[in-house]
Order: sequence, then structure tokens, then C-alpha cells
Amino acid sequence: MTRAVTGLTPLMRDSRIANETGRSASRLFLFSLALLCFVFAGPRMDLAQDSKPDQTSAGYVPVLSGAFAYIQNSSGGVQSLAPQINPVLLVPMGKSLLLESHVDFTGFFQRRNRTSGDFTGEVFKTIESAQVDWLADSHVTGVAGRFLLPFGLYSERLTPVWIHNLQDVPLTYAIGTHPYGSADGLMLRGVAASQPSVNFQYSAYFSAHSSIDQLPAERAAGGDGSMFFPAARVETGLSYQRSLEGYQINNEAAYLTWQPQSFEINLKAEYDRNHYGDGYWIEGAHSPQQFFFAPRFFRRFQLVGRMEQFFVRNGGGHGLSDVDEKRPEFGVNYILRDDWKLVSSYGRLFSSNGNSNTWNFGFTYRFIWPLWPGKRS
Amino acid sequence: MRYGNRIHWLALPIACGLGSAALLAAIGQSVPASAAGPKTRPDPAVEGERIFQQNCSRCHIPPMVLNPRVTGTIIDHMRVRARLSRKEQQLLLKYLAP
Ligand code: HEC
Repeated sequence: MTRAVTGLTPLMRDSRIANETGRSASRLFLFSLALLCFVFAGPRMDLAQDSKPDQTSAGYVPVLSGAFAYIQNSSGGVQSLAPQINPVLLVPMGKSLLLESHVDFTGFFQRRNRTSGDFTGEVFKTIESAQVDWLADSHVTGVAGRFLLPFGLYSERLTPVWIHNLQDVPLTYAIGTHPYGSADGLMLRGVAASQPSVNFQYSAYFSAHSSIDQLPAERAAGGDGSMFFPAARVETGLSYQRSLEGYQINNEAAYLTWQPQSFEINLKAEYDRNHYGDGYWIEGAHSPQQFFFAPRFFRRFQLVGRMEQFFVRNGGGHGLSDVDEKRPEFGVNYILRDDWKLVSSYGRLFSSNGNSNTWNFGFTYRFIWPLWPGKRS
Repeated sequence: MRYGNRIHWLALPIACGLGSAALLAAIGQSVPASAAGPKTRPDPAVEGERIFQQNCSRCHIPPMVLNPRVTGTIIDHMRVRARLSRKEQQLLLKYLAP
């Protein structure tokens, strides 16, 4: 999972204690997925090259996309280096099946004695998704397998390192995603109703318990519903999840995104709550499109600000902090090209465990590689 | 141990202000430009650009350069996230891979 680089994340810790007994089952699962992809990919290639869907040259070849990134973090004076690769494999199979898989390799290296000595650490591998999407129509898409939990704004939409504006995940991130961030089960999603002025989207899922190595998940059920006003570019939604494992708790989120064109700003806000805590974050990102001096240079800058607060309930923990926290954070990113981005940010964490500064510097590179030598179709 | 058990004094006014401004904007501009005018055949280039700006740039920073060979696969992948109807999907494909 592309997570904060400010310390060992809960997911990383959990992956270390993953159950070894399921190793062979996970290999079998991945092997079957690979086999499926080879059996079904061929026919779609032919289709892609022979037919012209409504006069476009759009092709349907398998794709390997994702990002490389290198982020250097300093938190409370402790340096950490986090190189990462997050490949996403997309294989269209026939007309209405899409196989997709997200894998994350994140290295986490710190000095041996925290502030002195050589850098040591390890690389964590997480299979975030391995799923088959059945693209029935725009109202219904069925998903089976392992998928990212659609909870709030962050988990499914902003997790990729090349997409989020600030490198630290929000303080409330674990609400609705703890402990694995992914579900093993079934999901239905789509656009319930679409008008030119407003459109309603839904998702509903169930996750089974799994202790298979690399594919762990907890029993949970949940859903998300949102409204989007295209002309005003406003989206607002609610997420709900009931964790059905151990203590049965509810996770809830309410969110809003808005891109008022007149201000060239991208606003996002979310409130999350569960048994262990609640909190909010509000983020704004601005790229000056019409800067009076060297506009082509300045429009590539992205200025970001985020304010967030977390409040403990019932002792906190479970991926959340066990004390109240507050963090203002600022970032300046520079988009070199549509695939290269330089990132930098500064945040100050206020907490009764001690206040600390967090700095992040690095770059991200997004790639999209066709995996089939076919000509344009 | 609690650091401060009350919400930051700026958070509530900002959240309320943002929420109501967004809602007013949503109600005020609820009809997209293309649907407001007299019924003409949509120009794929103009409509495709509008769909990209409205639906894709919520999560991605434009411009986005795509190889036409991968465009169909990617739009199939993104269509739920971008809330695309079948018609919008076709217009976007024509725009991104004419
Ligand atoms: C709600 C957020 C969201 C919207 C809206 C969205 N995307 Fe994405 N996009 C993502 C995320 C997140 C990824 C990373 C891959 C993943 O998580 O599946 C991604 C990945 C991509 C990629 C990399 C290749 C791939 O498919 O993984 C391309 C290209 C892309 N999106 C184009 C688009 C286009 C074109 C649209 C509009 C039709 C769009 N996106 C709408 C969130 C979004």
C-alpha cells in the first residue's frame, strides 16, 4: 500500500505477521489469474485490431501502468528513505471482463541507530488487488476477488503516489481501511441514475475473512453512495462499513470535493468516525493557470495546504493514534511533464506525545505501457 | 491522554462555509453548458474535452497524454470512477483516440 513514509505503517506491521500457512493457496490463486489472463486475452486482441468501435482508434491491449517514486522523509529529526514501485496490470478479456491487479513494493530504510549509522530496512510487498471486473453496463459493474476498499476519498482514489498531493496519509486514514486496506469478496457498483445536472453513484460490497498469505482480509460489509453535480464540479458522499470481525464496529465517512473553476482550486474535505476515534481533513490545491509572469512555467506548480485533526475515543489504537492530534501541512509540487512530478511538503504534528516536524521531498514517475505489440485499432 | 478535546476553532466555520458554498454552486449551475443550448449534434472534440475536464480532472491533473492503443482499456478501467455513461464513454474515446 502506498502509505505514509512517517514510520512503519500498520499495514506493513500486519504484513509481517501474515499467516504463513496460506502461502501455497495464494500461489495457486495468482497462477489461476495469470492463466485466465492468457486464455482470454488473445480473443480480445483480435477484436481490438479488427473492429473500429464507433470510429475511434482506441485500442484494448493489456496495459502495465503504475508509478515509481522516491520519497525522502524526515519526521521529528529521524530520516527515512522510501523508494517504491506500484504496478497495475490491466487485461481486458472479451467485451465485458477486465482483469486488474495492483501490487505495491515499498522500501522503508532508516539509519541503524535512528539518527546515526548506515541505512537499513526492508522492502514490503502488498497485493492490493487481484480482481475481475464484469462491465455489465454503466449502471452495474460486478467485481470479484481482492479489491481496494471503497471508503471515503482516500483509499481507492488518492492512494497512488502519483495522484495524492501530500505524501502523508490523513490521520484518520485507518478508519474504514484498517488493517489491510483491501477486501476479499464481491462488490457491485455503478451509476444508479444519471441526469445532465446530477448523477448518483453507489457501491456495495462484502468481504470474507482470509488468512491466505499476501491476500489477508477481514470480514466486513459496507457501501458508499455519492452525488456529483458535473457543471459545478461538486461531489458529496457517504461511506459506511460494518466490521464483522472480533468487535463489530461501524466506520463512517462523509466527504465533499469541489473544483470551483473561477478560483482554479481543487478542494477536498472528509470527516471519518468509528469506535476508536473521529477526525476530519480539509485540503486545497491550487495551480496558477494565468500567472502574469512566465505563465507556462508557473502553471506547473501546485500549491497545497491541508488541515486535519483527530480525536481519540475509547483509547484509540487499531491503526489510529492513541492521543488527540492536529496537523497543518503545506506542499509545493512541480509537474515536470504529465508523468513526472517533483514533490515537497512540510507539516507540523501537534500531539501530547510530543510535537514534531515532518518534511518530505522526492519525485514520482507514472508509466503506462502497452503489453501487446498490436498496431492501433 | 488528550491533547485538546475540542475541534479547532476554524474547522467548523470552514466546513460549513465550504459545504454551503459548494451546495449553492451545485444548485446554481446544475445544467451543464452542453445541455443548456438548443439541441444540436454534440461535437466530439468539444464534448470529449468537457467530459475530461469535468469527470477526469477531479482526480488527475490535465493534460494527460495517452497512447491510443491503451485508451480503450484505460477508459474501461476508469469509467466507474469517472461515472461515465455509455454515451460519455464513446465521446471521450473519440476525443482521446480520434
Ligand atoms: C475518483 C478518482 C478518479 C477519477 C474520476 C478518474 N481516475 Fe484515473 N485513476 C485513478 C486512480 C486512483 C488511478 C490509479 C490506478 C488504480 O487505483 O486503479 C487511476 C489511474 C489512471 C490512469 C493510469 C492507468 C490506469 O488505468 O491505471 C489513467 C491513464 C487514468 N487514470 C485516466 C483517467 C481518465 C481518462 C479519467 C476520466 C475518464 C479518469 N482517469 C478518472 C483515479 C481516478
